[in-house]
Amino acid sequence: MNVLAAEWLKIRSIRSNHLILAISLGAILLAVAVAMSAIAMYDSAPASMRAGARIAELEEVVLIVPQLAMGIMGVLAITSEYATGLIRTSFALVPGRRPVLAAKSVVVGGLGLVVGPVVVFATYAVSWWMLESRYPVAGFADRLPTLVTSSLTVAVYALLGLGLGAVLRSAAGAIAILVGLVYVIPMIVGNLPEPWSERLGSVMLGALPREITGEDLTSSVYGALLSPFAAAVALVLYAAVPLGSGLLLIRGRDV
Amino acid sequence: MCGAPAFPDREGVIEVKQLTKRYGRARAVDDLSFTVQPGHVTGFLGPNGAGKSTTMRLILGLDTPTSGEALVNGRRYATLGRPLHEVGALLDANALHPTRSAYNHLLWMARSNGIDPVRVAEVLEQVGLAGVARKKAGGFSLGMKQRLGIAAALLGDPGVLLFDEPVNGLDPDGVRWIRDLMRSLAAEGRTVLLSSHLMSEMALTADRIVIVGRGRLIVETSVKDLTERYDSLESAYLALTAGSVEYGAAR
Amino acid sequence: MIASEWLKLRSVSSTRYAIGAAALVIVLGAVWSFYVGTLADARGSIRAAAPEEGFLPLVQISLALVGVLAVTAEYGTGTIRPSLTAVPRRRALLAAKATVVAAATTLPALAVIFITHAVSHLIAGDRAVGYNAGSFGDDLPLLLGSVLSVTVLALVGLGLGVVTRSTAAAVGSVVGLLFVLPGIAPYLPQPWNVRVGAWMLPNLVPQIAGERISTRLDGLLPPAAAVAVLAGYALVALVAAFLVFERRDA
Repeated sequence: MNVLAAEWLKIRSIRSNHLILAISLGAILLAVAVAMSAIAMYDSAPASMRAGARIAELEEVVLIVPQLAMGIMGVLAITSEYATGLIRTSFALVPGRRPVLAAKSVVVGGLGLVVGPVVVFATYAVSWWMLESRYPVAGFADRLPTLVTSSLTVAVYALLGLGLGAVLRSAAGAIAILVGLVYVIPMIVGNLPEPWSERLGSVMLGALPREITGEDLTSSVYGALLSPFAAAVALVLYAAVPLGSGLLLIRGRDV
Repeated sequence: MCGAPAFPDREGVIEVKQLTKRYGRARAVDDLSFTVQPGHVTGFLGPNGAGKSTTMRLILGLDTPTSGEALVNGRRYATLGRPLHEVGALLDANALHPTRSAYNHLLWMARSNGIDPVRVAEVLEQVGLAGVARKKAGGFSLGMKQRLGIAAALLGDPGVLLFDEPVNGLDPDGVRWIRDLMRSLAAEGRTVLLSSHLMSEMALTADRIVIVGRGRLIVETSVKDLTERYDSLESAYLALTAGSVEYGAAR
Repeated sequence: MIASEWLKLRSVSSTRYAIGAAALVIVLGAVWSFYVGTLADARGSIRAAAPEEGFLPLVQISLALVGVLAVTAEYGTGTIRPSLTAVPRRRALLAAKATVVAAATTLPALAVIFITHAVSHLIAGDRAVGYNAGSFGDDLPLLLGSVLSVTVLALVGLGLGVVTRSTAAAVGSVVGLLFVLPGIAPYLPQPWNVRVGAWMLPNLVPQIAGERISTRLDGLLPPAAAVAVLAGYALVALVAAFLVFERRDA
């Protein structure tokens, strides 16, 4: 409990984390901007085209902002200590070391659990209030399962970042791998010939939320081969494998 | 200093026993043994790269020894539950997050070891940083950072204190202040292990001396003994380390 | 001064890792080509993407990191101060860094992209795998555009590194330019998806070659304009860096 209080204070007493939170919540404003441009475009379109007007779900469009931002917060939560040498102080204060990483996971993951739902549900509210009279917007009850699962991914990104940071000890390396997992590998996988594109596409991080809720993915760039349960397990593993490796490695390394 | 000590006769004692640390092929610390007793300021001397900082990291459980062990209060540091109450250390004054305030820097340390936040204000007052407590530590001068590091070491009111080069960057006032602080901490019955390259300062501050070179023990004795055999601590140091000035596995 | 900046860049292990990661594309491209070749044997002909285009993001992000770290590593360790005392003319220092970063990323990019291209064609042989449909002359604008995009990203990384002084912030911004914004642009309603999308950094490469941006997005800019916009990214980042670097206390 003491270690948890210490890690919470560490996170909230650094300016860059305030900036990261602001950027994450700024995704809501980005959604408002997209919605406003969609409204302007609808109003200027001829009546014949209005009936068929479609727009992507706003929360799907902007979610990447809090995902990446919180992922970077996770990375920096540990790599900034390695960069400044503060990690020695942290480990001298808590010689067991693992409680330090565990407490960081609770703090960073907990912030992800707050930021994700706030952004996702606020963005859905934006699309409901601003777009519903012009575009077809799925009802809240229909969207709810997907809204919940995609909002949880923000915490997974945060923990993934923290785990990568703990293993690699370098901000540049950890962010590069995070970006690789989120963007570069899915792009490469998307270019693979069938059946590998769909097989590997099904285990990409971005494919998992919709696989968990069993939504129709025929138009998606990802595959949809996993059952909801398997997809949920895969989502947990994205956070658990790097964090688990971090917990294993952190004990024995000289600092 | 909480609860009954596990080894009453070893309370406050730092024991370094046949300690060896290799990085690859280089031996940073090589079969090093010495003991630091409470109630004294013990000076820890040696040329650059002699293994002083490595030894301190080994005592604090930050690096794992290749062989041998280091004990504080009769126990390995890594087995201490709330170590700030037993051992305080200043290793690197620059180990701070630049945008975190001095107050918050000490507060998270206090929280991690269950120390009353009132203590944070006390140590800030004690080291003379109370006026800049809410300022970002990144903007501090090296001297102010040293004072903040000393405040961190004193936070848990520990019986054993380790300071690695605390005098660097301090103005003459600060140097005098450190000397008085070290001596009063020792006078209170605490154990103080202090490394420094300033021989004249060390001669005024320390009672006992441990000199290492190339990771090995050169001499473990009292300042009085050295100044009697050589005409000053500086001459003693230069004579004793003459063969050891070589840059080993410095980290 | 260029020599000393070159020595600095080359003596950091992260530069070698980053170039190594970029060079991995040659291996990935060869594996890809073998795999595509076996599929073509089985099916007669297929339409596969060229490996140097499919794996381009890996080259781009790895070498953009070289640009970022060329300056943020100095801020992180405090060596920026000795650098500035050794070369007090800050413009010259930054110009030297930019020259070295441009050279140290363009040459590996050139090598990786053209070797991957050559290897993938050698492995494909005369099988119809899609990416070997055109002649080398047809492919050349896309190859050169890809190389240019890497140089630009590295310089943008350098500029952002100077402005933010933080590895995380600079890498985050590069990722924003390379992935996040281009990912959001297609969701804008028409015609803004094309108008905005056409200016996005990674989308300029296909436009330089006069191709569509993607199956979802048409191009808008003629090749010469796309080259100019691409160069503009580097120019804006570097001008911002020069302005900030000259005035700021180290």
